[in-house]
This record gives sequence, structure tokens and C-alpha cells, in this order.
Amino acid sequence: MTSTRPHIIVDDLRIGWGSHVLMEHVDFQVERGTTFAILGGSGSGKSTLLRYLIGLDRPKAGRIDIDGVGSPHVHGGVPPFGVLFQSGALFSSMTLAENLALPLTTWTPVRGATVWELCQAKLDLVGLGPFGEHLPGEISGGMKKRAGIARAMMLEPDLLFFDEPSAGLDPISAVELDQLIITLSRDMGITVVIVTHELPSIFLVANDCIVLDKAAKGIVARGDPRKLRDESAIPFVHGFFTRTSLASSGTQGG
Amino acid sequence: MAVARVVGQAEARLEGCRTVEVDLAAVESIDGAGAVLLARCLDRLDASGLTTRVIEGRNPDAARLVALYRRSRLVGGAAAHPQTMSALTRLGIATAGLPRQLTDALDFIGRCAAAVPKALVRPRSVDWRSLPALLQSIGADAVLVTGAANLLVGVIIALLGVSQLGRFGAVAYVPELVVVAQFRELGPLVTAIVVAGRSGAGLASEIATMKVSEEIDALRAMGFDPIRWLVLPRCLALVAVVPILTWIGDVLALVGGLAATSLITEMTPRAYVLATERTITATNFFGGLIKTPFLALVIGLIACGQGLATRGGAAAVGARTTTAVVLAIFGVIVINAVFTLFLALLGL
Repeated sequence: MTSTRPHIIVDDLRIGWGSHVLMEHVDFQVERGTTFAILGGSGSGKSTLLRYLIGLDRPKAGRIDIDGVGSPHVHGGVPPFGVLFQSGALFSSMTLAENLALPLTTWTPVRGATVWELCQAKLDLVGLGPFGEHLPGEISGGMKKRAGIARAMMLEPDLLFFDEPSAGLDPISAVELDQLIITLSRDMGITVVIVTHELPSIFLVANDCIVLDKAAKGIVARGDPRKLRDESAIPFVHGFFTRTSLASSGTQGG
Repeated sequence: MAVARVVGQAEARLEGCRTVEVDLAAVESIDGAGAVLLARCLDRLDASGLTTRVIEGRNPDAARLVALYRRSRLVGGAAAHPQTMSALTRLGIATAGLPRQLTDALDFIGRCAAAVPKALVRPRSVDWRSLPALLQSIGADAVLVTGAANLLVGVIIALLGVSQLGRFGAVAYVPELVVVAQFRELGPLVTAIVVAGRSGAGLASEIATMKVSEEIDALRAMGFDPIRWLVLPRCLALVAVVPILTWIGDVLALVGGLAATSLITEMTPRAYVLATERTITATNFFGGLIKTPFLALVIGLIACGQGLATRGGAAAVGARTTTAVVLAIFGVIVINAVFTLFLALLGL
């Protein structure tokens, strides 16, 4: 944890399908312990970029290095991070407690009552203490996301990825989720990478970000989101942070 | 509809005009669709070099609506009309996609084969806990329907035998016909087809739903190999269960044959059983049973492969399930034919 090396290094990444290039020359670094936001409009490829970062797809070119161990799709076994998917992606045939226990029983020698104790601790942490025996189908969308976070944290990773955590949540649940992310980052020192386009959430939790634009096929701005809002001269970035449409100014947007 | 008629007639009568003025004063009301038709008509007139003007009169609302539809078209830029492809084009596209589908299928089979030794090295990467439930749903729950199907097949073979062999006074050979036809061909085939329809659809839709709800992605992100975790136990359950279902089906087919024959002919049940006993040889019995694990494997691989290949939403789940069932039944028939041919060449 004392290392000053960036937690994630992305170097000249190019992604796409077949001959279609979605993004190229994607370079950025995520410092240890920061909350890093990947921003952009709908269809700008934020969630797609996340798939590459967590190793679900192979880039056409370029390098992703997480924690100095190299690209996430190269090493087998325990991934050095946890992921919260947009829908929570809990296994619908298992109870919440079983969902949480799965990574533990598969990747660690922990067995028996200890497993359930650890699961209960994580459920309590995300405020789902009494729901361990519920099936994912029996709880609300916000609860599913919190359960997803709990599952992502079962192996005590120091890096968490969130795919649009507050999408489809009511304002109060969204703020609660943001508070949880802040807790994880500040109190537990976890590096958080969050894909989102929810402005209130960005200014609340993120201290570094990149902005993706479909038209530019890559990153158009990077830095502290508050600074970008106040100082960026790029019309798309300014419009994104201040919620002004570009259609009126005649500039192409993503 | 009134607008559609007026616009259509007006456009034809406007030939030769230079300037067109649309007076909305007499319009009592206009809805969105009417405004669209009018806006497009004006667009066409503009494009052919005429000057158009809308006089709103005492109808500013209608004018605003028409203007909105004209403006939104300018901003968005018209998308090309989706062209209807000719049958030949579609055939070409489908053909061009075949090599890709073949390599995808081979790739999947290869990864499944590679998963077996990996699973032996790391048994914990396989979801063994799901196995009892799978054996229950694929096997025990299917006994009734595969059993009934095989019973009826036994009855059918016996009836056919009586009607055809009876013409030569050879009803005594009906038991042997039932045994050979059922044990060697129809038992494995009918059982596998019923399982392909039942469990093939179930497994394909289950895995396809997991795929579209990001559960497969979550598995992979947690370091699991979906093939070892999901496909292996399912194929294993099928391979374990289909031979048993076939064997039970064989027994029931004999019962069906016995019942049908002794009901419509003079042959006593005892004579039927004695004649049957002689013909249940190892070749007949194992010649059929030996192919059942392979038929089961085909069902499992096709169902799971189609499930994992799903992309999109609910419609994709349905489409993949249908494809899985069709391919699984077809695959079962092909593999069965290959075995029959092979055994025939061996002289068994």
C-alpha cells in the first residue's frame, strides 16, 4: 500500500470490433486510493472501456496494467479487484449470503461458520444485515446494487470498479450509494473506478476523471471534475459538466 | 387521414407552380401525424426548387407543430430508409456468416475439451453443488415424459409388426422386432429427442438469461471460467442421466409391445416374454446404450453453447433457445445415424 506506483496504467489502448474502432490512443493512470470517474454521454463507450479494464474483452492494441501484475486477462485465478455491474449481476438462484460466500469458498481455504460470519459482516457494512436469506428477486434494485458491492468486497480487494452505480435509483438511494462509495474510499483506502454520467454523484465522490467522447474516439479531457467544470475550454466538456446542450451552439457532441 | 388525402391530391395539382402558400386558417385541428405529412410535403416541394410559405392565420399552434417537424428533420439529418433486402442478398449474408459460425462452434468445443483437465486439476472451479439439482431436473423430472414416449413407441412398433409380419404368419417375430428396433435405434433416439426438447430449452434459456443479465460477466470478473462452472456440471448431469432414461424407456417399450401384441393377437404374454428374452443380447442392448452418452453430450454442448453466445435482450434469449432446441434435435439425429452406420459397417 505504500507504493507510489499508479494502481492502474492504461497505455495507448485501442478497442473496437472487427474493423470498427470505438476508441484509440486511450492513455490514463489511476492513482492509488483515489476515486476515479470515467465519464461521457450515452454511447460514448464508458461501460465498454470498463469491460476491457476488468479483462472481459481483449484490446486490439495497447496495454492495461493493474497493480503491476499486468493485463487482467493474462493472469488466471483470483482477480485483484471487485466489480459492481450495472444490474448488480447477483446469481439469481442463490440467496444473498450464498452469493457473497461464493468467492470466499472458491478462492480461500475459509470454511464453515467463518464464511457466514464474514458474509454477514459485509452485508451489515452495506446495510443489508437482515437480508442474507433473501433471493435477489425478492429485493429492490438499490438493494441489489449494495449486495453487489458487498460481493465485490468479499476478497478484500484494494480496487473496486462500479458500472453506473446510481443508474435507475431514486435520488435518496443514489445518495446513500455515493456515501457508501465515499466510505469505502476514505475509510478503507480502496481505489475506486466508477463509470457514470450522474453529475451530482461525480462532484460528490470523484477526485479525478476522464471524459470520453464518441466523436473524438477517445479521451477529450482529464483531471479533477470540479476544475474541468469551471475551467475547461472544450465545448463538449463544458457542456457535459454544466448541462448545456451543444445543439444550440452548433458543435458536434457525443 | 383527411390530411393524407388533401396532401396527396394537392401535390399532384401543384405541378408547374413556383411559389406555394399553405394557409392554415381553415384548419380546425391537426395532430402530430397530420403535421408530419404536411411538413414532409413542404420539404419535398422545397427540395424540388419551389418557394414555400406557411400562413398561420389564426392557427399558430398548427404552424408551430409543422415547423417543429420540419426543424427536427434538419437537425437530426435524415437516416437512410431501411432497405428491404432481396432473398438472394439475405442468402448471401447467411452464407458469408457460416464459416464464422463453424469456427465459433469449434472454438467452443475446444474450450470445453480443455476445461476437463483443468477441472480435474482444480475441482473447486466446477459448481458441484448444482449437480444434484441438475440430476433432478434433467433426469428424475423427465422420467414420466420419456417413459410415456417410449411406452407408446413400443406399442407402435408392435402394432406395425403385427400388421406387416402378420401377413406372412410371422407374428412370432414381433417380440424380436420390438427389441431390435427399440433397443438399438428408437429408444436412444426418442429419449434423446425428448431430453433435447425439454432440458435443451431449459439449459439454453437459463444460461442465455444469465448472459444478458451480466451474471456470466460477473462470474468471469470473479475469476470463474463459465465453461467449467456452468457447462461442465450440466453436460455431466446429461451424460449420467440420459443412459438411465433410455434404459427405463426400453423396459417400458417392452411392456407396451407386450400389451399391444397380446391384446390383438393370439400370442400369450408368456410366449411374448420368452421370445423377448432370447433376443435381448449384449449386442442389441449395448449397441443402443453406447451412443446415449454421446447424444447427451451433443444436447449439453449445443444448449450451453447457444446460451453463452447470446447477446442482447429478452428477444435474443428466445431466439437462442429456439436455435438450441432445433440444433440439439438435429444433432441427436445425426449422431445417431453416424453410430448406426458405424455399427453396421462393423457388422454388429
